[in-house]
Amino acid sequence: MKSMKRTILFAVCAELVFAGVLTGCGRDSSSSGNETKVAFVYIGPVGDYGYTYAQDQGRKYLQSHLKNVKTTFVENIPETADCERTFEQLVQKGNKIIFGTSYGYMDYMADVAKRYPNVVFMHGSGYKTSKNMGTYFDRDYQARYLTGMAAGKYTKTNVLGFIAPFGTPEVVRNIDAFTLGAQSVNPNVKVNVVWTNSWDDPPTEKTAANSLIDARADVLATHVDSPSFAQAAQSKKVLAIGHNADMQKYAPKSVLVSDLSNWGPYFVNVVKSVQDHTWKSSQYWGGIKDNNVIDISSFNSKLVDKDFQNVVMQKRQDIIDGKFDPFQGPVYDQSNKLKVQQGQNLTDAQLLSIDWFVKGVQGTIPKS
Amino acid sequence: MIPMAEMVGITKEFPGIKANDNVSFSAYEGEIHALLGENGAGKSTLMSVLTGLYKPDAGSLKIQGKRTDLSSPKDAVNCGIGMVHQHFKLVQPFTVAENIMLSMKNLKQIYNRAEIEKQIVEQSEKFGLTIDPRAKVWQLSVGQQQRLEIVKLLLQGAKILILDEPTAVLTPQEAEALYTTLRRMAKNGRAIIIISHKMTEVMENADRITVLRDGKSIGTVRTQETNENELAKMMVGRDISEVIKKPVQKDGKEILSLREVSVFGINRAPLLKDISLEIHAGEILGVAGVDGNGQRELADVVAGMRVASEGKVMLLGQDCTRSGRKKRIQMGVGYVPEDRMTTGLVTNLNAYENVALKEYRNQPGPFISWKKIIQYSKSLIKKFDVRLASAQNPVKMMSGGNIQKLLLAREISSEPKLIIAVYPMRGLDIGAMNYVKQLLIEQSEKGRAVLLILEDLEDLFSMSDHIAVLHGGEIMGVVDPSETTREKIGLMMAGRREVDIHAS
Amino acid sequence: MPLKIFGDWRLKKVEQASPLKTVVITLISICLGLLFSALLLLFTGNDPGEIYGDIVFASVGSAYGWSETLVEMTPLALCALGVSVAFRMKLWNIGAEGQFYMGAFGATFCALHFPNLSQWILLPLMFVAALICGGIWGLIPAIPKALWNVNETISTLLLNYIAISWVAYLVFGPWKDPSGNNFPLTAAFSNNASIPSIGGTRISYAIILVAVFAVVLFLLLRHSKWGYEIRVSGSSRKAAEYAGMNYVRNILVVLFISGAISGIAGMTEVSGVLHKLQQSISPGYGYTAIIIALLGRLNPLSIVLVSFLMGGLVVGGYDLQTLGFPSSISSMFQGAILFFVLAGELFCNYRLVRKEVQA
Repeated sequence: MKSMKRTILFAVCAELVFAGVLTGCGRDSSSSGNETKVAFVYIGPVGDYGYTYAQDQGRKYLQSHLKNVKTTFVENIPETADCERTFEQLVQKGNKIIFGTSYGYMDYMADVAKRYPNVVFMHGSGYKTSKNMGTYFDRDYQARYLTGMAAGKYTKTNVLGFIAPFGTPEVVRNIDAFTLGAQSVNPNVKVNVVWTNSWDDPPTEKTAANSLIDARADVLATHVDSPSFAQAAQSKKVLAIGHNADMQKYAPKSVLVSDLSNWGPYFVNVVKSVQDHTWKSSQYWGGIKDNNVIDISSFNSKLVDKDFQNVVMQKRQDIIDGKFDPFQGPVYDQSNKLKVQQGQNLTDAQLLSIDWFVKGVQGTIPKS
Repeated sequence: MIPMAEMVGITKEFPGIKANDNVSFSAYEGEIHALLGENGAGKSTLMSVLTGLYKPDAGSLKIQGKRTDLSSPKDAVNCGIGMVHQHFKLVQPFTVAENIMLSMKNLKQIYNRAEIEKQIVEQSEKFGLTIDPRAKVWQLSVGQQQRLEIVKLLLQGAKILILDEPTAVLTPQEAEALYTTLRRMAKNGRAIIIISHKMTEVMENADRITVLRDGKSIGTVRTQETNENELAKMMVGRDISEVIKKPVQKDGKEILSLREVSVFGINRAPLLKDISLEIHAGEILGVAGVDGNGQRELADVVAGMRVASEGKVMLLGQDCTRSGRKKRIQMGVGYVPEDRMTTGLVTNLNAYENVALKEYRNQPGPFISWKKIIQYSKSLIKKFDVRLASAQNPVKMMSGGNIQKLLLAREISSEPKLIIAVYPMRGLDIGAMNYVKQLLIEQSEKGRAVLLILEDLEDLFSMSDHIAVLHGGEIMGVVDPSETTREKIGLMMAGRREVDIHAS
Repeated sequence: MPLKIFGDWRLKKVEQASPLKTVVITLISICLGLLFSALLLLFTGNDPGEIYGDIVFASVGSAYGWSETLVEMTPLALCALGVSVAFRMKLWNIGAEGQFYMGAFGATFCALHFPNLSQWILLPLMFVAALICGGIWGLIPAIPKALWNVNETISTLLLNYIAISWVAYLVFGPWKDPSGNNFPLTAAFSNNASIPSIGGTRISYAIILVAVFAVVLFLLLRHSKWGYEIRVSGSSRKAAEYAGMNYVRNILVVLFISGAISGIAGMTEVSGVLHKLQQSISPGYGYTAIIIALLGRLNPLSIVLVSFLMGGLVVGGYDLQTLGFPSSISSMFQGAILFFVLAGELFCNYRLVRKEVQA
């Protein structure tokens, strides 16, 4: 009994101490004037120099380009019960627009959206929408195709390595586009895929990179959230393609080029449309032509020669102009079956649910 | 002549107790000086002051006539004072030489091992202490380890050697050899101090005896000018009752019988071999032997804590070789184990909870009525005069004697048929010792069988109806105390069979 | 031998600390933890008052805060209760995390295979499945412990990784929702497989289990013969065997029960909160539970209280971020308080004394 009483006292006292401090500070829940509060919920840390970093760059752009906006962000929010609470807490802090950047937030966000019809929820990479919940994502495969071209050009072994997190359509689509881009300049190229089963697991990513290099891959690409694989590549003296951010400064002797997301202008549009009440729930999927929501970085001039840069930039222009699409037929799958006829493209619906690898990819998609 | 060590008016107080109160003590070159007293009389404290462990509150210390302040054990070593503790401070996996090197004062970073080993052999042979410097400590017998401790001190240059209960772990023969060595060292210009509570031993070997009682020095006497009775009076402050004599018991009903019981340890090394013995109602069977010769295993096999590998254990005519401890408790086996602090009692539980250790099973249903346990405990505490500050305090806060009383109270009150008592007097003072002896004898008078394992031969002789001697897990012989001598038992403890002794 | 601290100061063990002293020391420890955190916060340019206020406000300052704190507390309290049963016997079961996952596995198995059973049958079925799976996960390390005295600390810890990988395998493979776009999640549980929530909150009725387990364990440990045997066995194996207790059987029983309770925590999380199985169902509940159990001094009722406090800290910590404070503040805050409370324990059992110096 003694220790019981002790702990009750412990509890009571702790609360008293807290409460004492509490009385000293008022709560400022109301925002000044007609400022719109916008919140961002990130799966990783803003310093990951990858996916979350790119989203946060967009937030900063939004903050600096719209005066009557106040942004906050929360990082490292897991895809569990904790994220639902975070959405809820953000609503209670007066946020009117909430961006959630990870696929796994989807169901939790949808639940909270149901409870707060006056708040706009924007979910990155998912597919569930409702009256006050929309989705947004980028046509990452367009940039992937272009960076794939560089990889295909500069491989000596004709083996590329791809570190993939999960077998979701998004990742499969990127691997396919990357392979098609590489094959467009080097038909003999093969792409080896290794799964890490995590968006962010640097030690595993390094191990995966090393195993790909051991299997003769000399250009590495990835769809995970951080640049650790590029450092592994540089230390083993092979090339790499950056993802989500310009990764040249992490591995200047390895990174040929990176794909980049530029969310800022899009975020500005969303907030503006909410402010003038023109916002409607939709599934936004922007490409290079849409304010460069997705694009490639500048090339590493020490590694990529000028003429080839021009070849890639021409392809980029063709994509912007609608003259070319990465999944333009004919496209064959791993079993050599013709999946896209000559002269046809994949529809958005097909792209969003793609579950097959193109010919030249070595690896299987984990399926149930 | 200037004393090698002289302590004048030493006072050392601990919270609530004056461990040493104005004690004066001196040791001269060439003498064996015994420090005699009951447990808690202040012997250890006094020696801790001499070895630099404690700083006295008052009093002064002179080493070879020079006033000295010892602020650490290291200072004491530098002054030539060394102590052999009851529990040796040796590193078991190391060799003899390595252990000695650990304590060498100016061992160089790069040392000559062969040179050191030679020194060890030289020093030890000077006093007839043969020891192999390359042997690993764990391979040595207890007596050899003690020799190593002594050699260690000699190599440190100790002039004053203090030995704490040095014969507790030795056979009478080994003890005799030890004293021969000590005598030789004393003649060689050293002072030897023996801490002991064994009067006979002290009378035989010491030159002078200082008796401590309740932290005070009662006096220092020459051995030739005193006798055991006088010493005992000095120790307890009153005449102690005559050594308790046990009335001879007539043969009662057979309670316990072991038939060719063997117990094997790891690698089938025999811990007990072909043990056969019986104990009858009203009989006390004493077991003699040097510690570690199978006593613990014997007690465990009878108590049901260990299963006999071979042979049969019969209780009241029933075969219970395979039955476990729980069954044996129900059959009426009380057990006062050697290790009362971790086995017989749970020291961080309080007195009630410890009484419950046996009593909880007697209650019906899955729950315990603590009220009943507390009532029962209170009656035990009263009946056996267990003194405790509060029954709510953990048992470990009680004194050694009261802990043993509590344990005995619990075991005896459960109305056992057989009581196993292993070293039940160890660590108790004379008063508590007598109480325990009396209690056990009373039990046998009530018709209970007692298996009594003791280290003190005097007590075994006075209490037992028969004495079985264990050596290396075997019974060397079962003898009637009235028809044998200490010397014979000693020889059997060292491994001679009773039949061989008679033959020679 | 007293422990040397600095100069002449030594730490001396005291046999038993008085309750008053313990309370005072615990209080001082918490205050020191708060003060220490406040200094760090000031140092990094934050306002400690605002942050402390926010934590209290977010965790117990509103009905929503209360409800979320209770949501967070449920798995923490159950795991901590489970762990504490084993700790009572000094079996260092640090495998609550794995037992939690296995419980979630067992519950999900029933939820996915019998989604249309009546709720009154399905939920008890899931409960039993979670109990058995978690219990077996506790029993596995108990067997080598009982037979060959294999250290359970290591074996329970290692089994965590197996359980987590096993759940990962299932959600990446056989149990992946076929219509889930290849994301490693199972299909959502049917309504029958979900523990209903109380009112409009996220608190599921599983919170009742916390109260039931706490009270039952409290009574069992204090007043049953079994509880007494556990206490004795935890203090001294030799004494337990001396008293004729079946030490080996108690190891098996205790670790089974310990694992079973954590397993049930896993069920309440998937069935009451997440409504599906996924790769990461626990942000380390099983590990936090160890700290809670020890801070609660293995007393079931205290454990519930400490879990509530911990739950509040977690909820408050997430809320801090929504005010724009970095996420690491809340972890630092938790760490600092724990550190000081645990350091305070030292002073409950020891006393600082000055060694008598030479004249």
